[in-house]
Amino acid sequence: MSDPFAQFIEQGRLGAGALIDFGRHLIHPTVRLGVTGMSRAGKTVFITALVNGLVRGGRLPVFEALASGRVASAELAPQPDDAVPRFDYETHVQALTVERRWPDSTRQISELRLVIDYQAKRGALRTLTLDIVDYPGEWLLDLPLLDKSYEEWARETLAASRQAPRAALAAPWHQHLAGLDPNGPQDEQAALTAAALFTDYLRACRDRRFAISMLPPGRFLMPGDLAGSPALTFAPLDLPAEGSAPARSLWAMMQRRYESYKAVLVRPFFREHFSRLDRQIVLVDILSTLNAGPDALRDLENALAAILNCFNPGRRSLISTLFKPRIDRILFAATKADHLHRSSHDRLEAILRRVTERAIARATFAGATIDVIALAAVRATREATIRQGGADLPAILGTPAAGEVMGHQVFDGKTEIAMFPGDLPDDPSVFFNDPAAFRGLTSVPAPEADFRFLHLLPPALAAGEPLPHIRLDRALEFLIGDRLS
Amino acid sequence: MSPRRPTAFAANDPNVVLAEPDRDTDLLQTRTASEASEAALPATLPDAATPAHRRWRWGTLFWSALGGLVTLALGLAVTQLIDDLFARSLALGWLGLALALLAALAFVAIAIREARGLLRLSTIEELRNDAAATLVSDNRDDGIAVVRSLLHLTRRTPQLARARKILSGHLDDIIDGADFVRLAERHLMTPLDREARQLVSAAAKRVSIVTAVSPRAAIDMLFVLITVLGLIRRLAYLYGGRPGALGLIRLMRMCIAHLTVTGGLAVSDGLVQQVLGHGVVAKLSSRLGEGVLNGLLTARLGLAAIETIRPLPFAALTPPKLGDLAAELTRQRDADTK
Repeated sequence: MSDPFAQFIEQGRLGAGALIDFGRHLIHPTVRLGVTGMSRAGKTVFITALVNGLVRGGRLPVFEALASGRVASAELAPQPDDAVPRFDYETHVQALTVERRWPDSTRQISELRLVIDYQAKRGALRTLTLDIVDYPGEWLLDLPLLDKSYEEWARETLAASRQAPRAALAAPWHQHLAGLDPNGPQDEQAALTAAALFTDYLRACRDRRFAISMLPPGRFLMPGDLAGSPALTFAPLDLPAEGSAPARSLWAMMQRRYESYKAVLVRPFFREHFSRLDRQIVLVDILSTLNAGPDALRDLENALAAILNCFNPGRRSLISTLFKPRIDRILFAATKADHLHRSSHDRLEAILRRVTERAIARATFAGATIDVIALAAVRATREATIRQGGADLPAILGTPAAGEVMGHQVFDGKTEIAMFPGDLPDDPSVFFNDPAAFRGLTSVPAPEADFRFLHLLPPALAAGEPLPHIRLDRALEFLIGDRLS
Repeated sequence: MSPRRPTAFAANDPNVVLAEPDRDTDLLQTRTASEASEAALPATLPDAATPAHRRWRWGTLFWSALGGLVTLALGLAVTQLIDDLFARSLALGWLGLALALLAALAFVAIAIREARGLLRLSTIEELRNDAAATLVSDNRDDGIAVVRSLLHLTRRTPQLARARKILSGHLDDIIDGADFVRLAERHLMTPLDREARQLVSAAAKRVSIVTAVSPRAAIDMLFVLITVLGLIRRLAYLYGGRPGALGLIRLMRMCIAHLTVTGGLAVSDGLVQQVLGHGVVAKLSSRLGEGVLNGLLTARLGLAAIETIRPLPFAALTPPKLGDLAAELTRQRDADTK
């Protein structure tokens, strides 16, 4: 957004949108709740459990409005934005409760509207509309691109890909890149190959053994219906330090496509969805990075820092609050807390707090309220104790998915086992200061890793039983409790 | 300690012990919050209303010694009396001895009751401090300990039977400390708060009516004192305390201390209304005006008493405001004058 005139237009559109929303919310109070997180963090499960809990009136003691009976009803309503897919709640609930499998992950933005009839503490009957917006966390990594030119982005991406452990994964793409001349004539086939190899590299980084998440541009991995279009067919080039793109060169072509990626994909997302959120929950899968190793954890820290930069209220600079809706509450949730015994939850929380501490400081300074919790939107385990050599191990009981490995055992997806996944440290900074603090799947084979968090099946439920959870009620109380008081 | 390795066992392995939900069984085997984890608590919270440790004082020594002397003198007088009775007639002597023994027995019983009452009051105070600390530290074990102590404390309060049942059903759930304390407050304190408010409001009304019709100021003051003492006692019983005479004196002192600390706040909270209300009513009749003032004094003492006696600090619920009670009071007066 280097052109000041374009910037002015953009701000005008944002402000106008905010003003229209403001007018609508005066008549129908609405909360737009953003749910985000990297893929596999558990966004779909979280929304399904949240909606199920509200609609069916689950066991949510800490969520005051529901527990004290002030919520008369919560019902699904037609989705308001015609251009956005609806969150397929019914199918997901069916998958969780009847078929006993985790719902399919969403690959794009989706939305669901919930209308809550409640009685205020003072007695008035009110209605709150809750719009839940689910979008991939990878898209947030694109938002910083708005302020970056193609040259800056190419240089940064290339530098990152030359560091371990990424370098090995990027080797085929680097090889192809070495044969490309940025100043040479534009060449569609070269661009296609480069983009394909670049995408392969990004996909390899996401593998479970590495669990790297800092991978803009986010749409390369989830292209949707724009797959193969020029806006998604570009890649970083090995650019000279100085100079500008010659006309009709490969460099100029890539630069143009990068700009249209921003204009066609990133900016509309920012304008139509992201800038309109009131509340935000960021789901973070700490456990899978512990599975992978210290590099993944550090990468997650960077990715979160980049995501949280987007929440910076200072970025939007119009004066009036009327034109500047802000996210006033952000909840960071370490998901899959049911993979740990309750005695370790505080440590998991401490790790997440350490990962997000810079962002928390900034958001608090800007006046937003922040909370960090260990969450399991659907609890797939029970707790137990293992007696081993005179000591008691705090363990969990769950059914691993077929093909999961622990030690030298391979599971068939039917038997329930008791497992102890490893000890989290008391002081989380140990994990961040020492690159060899623990061994993960990135560096050693599975039996030698310090942590093993298995992929577990959803809980087996009796008909009509509410979904079990850990701290979903606390999350709800934090996110919408004050709007229901 | 070296980190423990990840391990897996079959679920039916004899070494695997499932964490059984401990429903109501061990509800009565309570562990007080202070035992739970002293180390995890933050440093002592500053609480101006409650003096920290009672230090050694000459005054205490004086009164204890004097009390001992008086007891000795009393004992001496009684033995002498019984001797005299025996000298006069054997039957009278035995009767005197029996009466003296009965009196001694009753005295011991009263002393035990007083001591238990005082002990219970300090338990409540400790519980409130623990709860306040848990609200800050958000420690799960402390929260559970507070809730268990609270369930134990209110086990004889019949109107909380259902709330206790619900709350003890949540003891196994994974709920953090501060949330647990708030949950307990919402479940256990809501009905009690409502009743307490009614008690205070009724006492204030009674005082204001009696003041309006009583012939002398001295009688007003006596009536206010008696009503307030009665009110504090009933509030204490409501919230699970069982104060005897000594406990009541202690509570009264704490309430007044609390008033002096929070007095400044209360002034800003309701003074304008009070002065205005008083002015309007005083125009109608000076006795009525005094009645409203005395009623407000009672209400204020009652609110202070609620905050001193309640086993949990106000966190999830809002404390009753003097303004609400005052509005009720003046409305009542207006209705009476019509």
